[in-house]
Amino acid sequence: MSEKKKTTMEILREKVEELLRTDRLPHVWCPGCGIGIVLNAFLRAFIRAKMDPNKLVVVSGIGCTGRTAGYVNVDSFHTTHGRAIPFATGIKFARPELNVVVFSGDGDLFAIGGNHFINAARRNHDILVIAVNNFTYGMTGGQHGPTTPTGAYTTTTPYGNPDRPFNIPHLAISLGVPYVARWTTYHLMQLQNSIYTALHRKGFRVIEIISQCPTVYGRRNEMKNPLDMMEYFRKFSIRKDDATAEEMELTYNGKIVVGVFRDVQGIPTYEERYEELLRRAQK
Amino acid sequence: MKKLAENKPPPKKRGTVKIIEERCKGCWYCISYCPTKVLVVSPKLNEKGYHPPELKEDPPNKVCIACHLCELFCPDFALIVEEIK
Ligand SMILES: Cc1ncc(C[n+]2csc(CCOP(=O)(O)OP(=O)(O)O)c2C)c(N)n1
Ligand code: SF4
Ligand SMILES: [Mg+2]
Repeated sequence: MSEKKKTTMEILREKVEELLRTDRLPHVWCPGCGIGIVLNAFLRAFIRAKMDPNKLVVVSGIGCTGRTAGYVNVDSFHTTHGRAIPFATGIKFARPELNVVVFSGDGDLFAIGGNHFINAARRNHDILVIAVNNFTYGMTGGQHGPTTPTGAYTTTTPYGNPDRPFNIPHLAISLGVPYVARWTTYHLMQLQNSIYTALHRKGFRVIEIISQCPTVYGRRNEMKNPLDMMEYFRKFSIRKDDATAEEMELTYNGKIVVGVFRDVQGIPTYEERYEELLRRAQK
Repeated sequence: MKKLAENKPPPKKRGTVKIIEERCKGCWYCISYCPTKVLVVSPKLNEKGYHPPELKEDPPNKVCIACHLCELFCPDFALIVEEIK
């Protein structure tokens, strides 16, 4: 029998396997955790972009999402808590030819690492930030964090969270970030296509992915199993690319506005401006 | 206006799902979101103690159409969809 010709999707699946450290699977993430879905989408977008895996660097902080760095079969850094972005900007500065991707959690990027985020965004460093927002600190047992919706129940907010959460796309847009998008783990193809586009853009790019942490967040918030959380994303998300800041705000078990909120090109990156400065200084 | 002949129906793809059982953690997104409902919960346990999916003998909505949706949903990289011709 002649060998059957492989389809594009079959080849894609094989390459996903090559980009994973399969010897470390099954991974640590809980049943139904959304991080694996995001990683799958990222790997597929990267493969479709036909970029060189030898030039890809994945940088993660600490947390469940932070474990991603340990599962990709490319150069990767599992940095200290909150410091994924400083590591990434350092890598980009030293080796501008590399494709630097930060893959980390909401607590890591916006709580302990919040200041790094806003300043790297302001300077428009040429890195892609994949921010997995599961509304909580998953790894340490489900404490509330800066992205926990008002009213949500967590181990540290047993009477409901009194705080107001970060509006991440709005924050990024206010800092002049050229590419800002938000999806949920239910938006499999939109997410993949969005990462694909972002890989081809320059500058600081932020993709927020609303993800499920059924183990420590879902079960305290009326979503006892993984499927309940996925169904929440399916039923409550609406696409609106031109959403206003108010519409982007996330509320407790309320609607989730998704889309590509900003995609502009031609803003000089930090690396470009620095190179230009060097040229002038050396004249 | 486009001629009718140009709007050919999409090819009737048929597929099958390979399941890497030891990677599965039993979230069953694949079972829930398969458009033709060809997967069911397997009665057997894998070494971690989860019930992986298995292919149904006689699925209610006919056959696997190789849409690869389960492959995209699977958080554990446990599924491989292959087309059969
Ligand atoms: C300096 C420091 N402070 C606190 C911790 C404890 N810690 C580990 S992970 C984590 C939160 C991670 O949350 P997030 O980034 O949202 O990741 P998730 O687990 O939800 O994916 C914290 C506070 C730590 N490891 N290091
Ligand atoms: S604790 Fe939550 S975020 Fe961490 S692996 Fe489990 S489900 Fe995922
Ligand atoms: Mg988190």
